[in-house]
Amino acid sequence: MSDAKPIRKAFSWIWLAIGLLYFFIPLLATFLFSLRGKKGALSFVAYGHVFADPQFLKTFGFSLGMAACTVVAGLALIVPTAIWVYLKLPKAKPVIELLTLMPFVIPPIILAFGLIRTYSRPPFAWISSPAILVAGYVVISFPYIYKAVDAGLRSMDLRGLTEAAQSLGAGWPTLLFKVILPNLRTALLSALFLTFAIVVGELTLAVLLAWPAFGPYMALMGRNLAYEPAALAILSFGLTWGAIALMQALGEKH
Amino acid sequence: MAFLELRNVVKSFGRNEVVRGLSLSVEKGEFVSFLGGSGCGKTTTLRMIAGFEAPTEGSIFVEGAELSRVPPNRRRLGMVFQNYALFPNMTARRNIAFGLRVEGKKGPEVERRVDEMLELIGLGEFGERYPHQLSGGQQQRVALARALAPGPRALLLDEPLSALDAKIRVRLRDDIRAIQRELGITTIYVTHDQEEALSISDRVAVMRDGLIEQIGAPFEIYDRPATPYVAGFIGTLNLLQATALDPEEGSLLVEGQVVRVGRRLEARPGEARSLRLRPEALSLGGPGSNRLAAKLVNVKLHGAIVRLVARVGGQEVLVDCFNDRSLELPGIGADLSLTFAPESCAVERP
Repeated sequence: MSDAKPIRKAFSWIWLAIGLLYFFIPLLATFLFSLRGKKGALSFVAYGHVFADPQFLKTFGFSLGMAACTVVAGLALIVPTAIWVYLKLPKAKPVIELLTLMPFVIPPIILAFGLIRTYSRPPFAWISSPAILVAGYVVISFPYIYKAVDAGLRSMDLRGLTEAAQSLGAGWPTLLFKVILPNLRTALLSALFLTFAIVVGELTLAVLLAWPAFGPYMALMGRNLAYEPAALAILSFGLTWGAIALMQALGEKH
Repeated sequence: MAFLELRNVVKSFGRNEVVRGLSLSVEKGEFVSFLGGSGCGKTTTLRMIAGFEAPTEGSIFVEGAELSRVPPNRRRLGMVFQNYALFPNMTARRNIAFGLRVEGKKGPEVERRVDEMLELIGLGEFGERYPHQLSGGQQQRVALARALAPGPRALLLDEPLSALDAKIRVRLRDDIRAIQRELGITTIYVTHDQEEALSISDRVAVMRDGLIEQIGAPFEIYDRPATPYVAGFIGTLNLLQATALDPEEGSLLVEGQVVRVGRRLEARPGEARSLRLRPEALSLGGPGSNRLAAKLVNVKLHGAIVRLVARVGGQEVLVDCFNDRSLELPGIGADLSLTFAPESCAVERP
């Protein structure tokens, strides 16, 4: 038994190393490629071109804004629902879990056409509203947000904490904001991370609903240029991580 | 009028009736324990008082006001849970202050009360620790302080010591009782541990199948159990098969030996009966007009008590003696003469 432990540990390290290589090698290759903008030398010239294009910050800013709205709307919808299901309707949990898988089964293109058909004529002619895009993003990120929140709720004694807070006089708002959400912090951060990652690079909904988002911008650049799209990918990666780190730091501060 | 009153309370989960028309009155400042095995309805009853479950039928009154439909956060009843349920994101101080802040209290008033509570539970220097930095016993103390801090009308404890080890359990239960006496707070305590219930309660309600089988002072419950179930559930009991000999005289035959219970028996001569005897009611040749010849089978040391396992004919009998220096134990297989007083035994139908 004692011999098996170091072997298992070594295997864990090997798998971790393989995982890290799988993740970082394409990133490194993209980064190195993005530095070849100048013939015969490594340079940041492609990055210069990206920053010089006003569309870059405009589309990236738009997508970040949409991601923030998606996170707020998604969490506002899913967190109370998940808590309610846990506390009052545990039998409905399998149904909710099945629903969360729907976005994997229904491709975004179907969702986009559904949104266009439903919201482009009276009485719901709202297709030009960014709220429809956010609603679409909420659907796409639903499984990721729900799974993260579900894992967070599983790891805490939700019923015990709820009852303890109620016995001390707390109503639902106090219970939610002072007890449950602070204890869901890690889960909420991972939901936020996943949602940002999905929304910032999302292409189908943004193209079909005709929004100047970062996904379509990257696709356009990729069609016309060589090194700039690689620089863009690295930049978007860094900026998304930076935005998440900033939010995490702010979360910790509070 | 009783401080807390339950009137014909019924609770069903689907077809399963967990509490079946339970009625109870608790006076102000009283410490009442609900004692019973799993599934007897004791925790469900407590949760109905707390407001976490709504009674299917019946009413619950506190200080004369009907509470059955009042949400738990408006009942002003403190609750302590088996698994502590401390808020992991808050220090002990903030946990204790939670109820006060919910009431809208602020600043020095809250701090003063939290200090008072930390002092009361003997954890003055642990205020800045998070729950995961405290031991189980300390966490439960903090949970107790948190429940008491807002000055609830009554304190409800749901098996608060079950998750703790034996030594801490004994110490903490004495502390809970001392704090309850100091504050004079009406307390309902749920436990499956009879020793716990008997040692700290003013009254014990022994529950079975959703009803109170007997309620009374601990001595009453132990010494004068009202039903065979209570007699069997509380403490250890010898049940000897006997035959009525002379019901008018109150005599029976146990394995061919005559036993007198000192009162008239409701039985016909020759009718089978069971004789109930606590192990501590029997002694080795001590006072008592009844005498049973037995053989020693085994000896078990329980610390301050020595438990002898003897055989009276074909029946096993337990005898408890104090483990003092005067105790001279015969060897295994030796003949014993077990004595007991007529009033220390009860007779029931088998």
